[in-house]
Amino acid sequence: MERRSEILRTIGAKPGITFRELARELGIGIGDLQYHLRRLEREGKVFSRKVGKRRYLFPRGFEEEAQRLLIAISTGTRRKILLRLMEGPMSQKEIAESLGISQPTVSYHMGELLKLGMVKVERRGKNVVYTLECDPETVIRLIREYRPGLWERLADSLIDLLTSVGDEK
Amino acid sequence: MIEMLLVAVTIALSLILAGISFIAYRKSHLRPALYLLMAFLLLALKKVIEGLSLASWIERDVGIITGILEVLVLGLLVLSLWKR
Repeated sequence: MERRSEILRTIGAKPGITFRELARELGIGIGDLQYHLRRLEREGKVFSRKVGKRRYLFPRGFEEEAQRLLIAISTGTRRKILLRLMEGPMSQKEIAESLGISQPTVSYHMGELLKLGMVKVERRGKNVVYTLECDPETVIRLIREYRPGLWERLADSLIDLLTSVGDEK
Repeated sequence: MIEMLLVAVTIALSLILAGISFIAYRKSHLRPALYLLMAFLLLALKKVIEGLSLASWIERDVGIITGILEVLVLGLLVLSLWKR
């Protein structure tokens, strides 16, 4: 019981922690952890989402946030943009230049991140800058463990290719 | 024999590209990805028809059908570049 409370506390403190990371952090065996997690999931205290090759664990009440976060990090370019924005507010042009991608591609991804509420946009003088609007620690935790498959990486390249075609908005 | 092999490879590659387009569409809901998905599926269909016509037991002329499919594939490719 004590073990289960410890697991619950850790997931609550670190939403988006992976099964492997949790096992490592608490020093619990795989089978033991699986048993406790199954119990916690059945009791509705935690839930998990499988994305790429990893299963992320979240506490109850985090459903909407988890959905937003996982959609936000689902493409390679968005992950790079989010990491870049952790260094501070940036304009679309700065992001495009620092990542070596086209501005229409950045524009598309920023639009998606805005819709998801992951970034906010502000006007500073003549520039429009984007700031991160989510917990950086959770984002880093999710991105660090994210392992996209080959198909997903190819699809990401296709998305970037398609969004780079056409005029900048 | 080599002709059939080339047809099979083309079909396989078209289906792979269709799969990638499908994942890209599911992730992004970009219409061009949907056009590409349809284009690659039609290309695979065209090659299937061509492959079948190579077999001696099919005697019908498939030129018109494959011609129409070719136009459709190219039209969808243009659309994927044009319509955002």
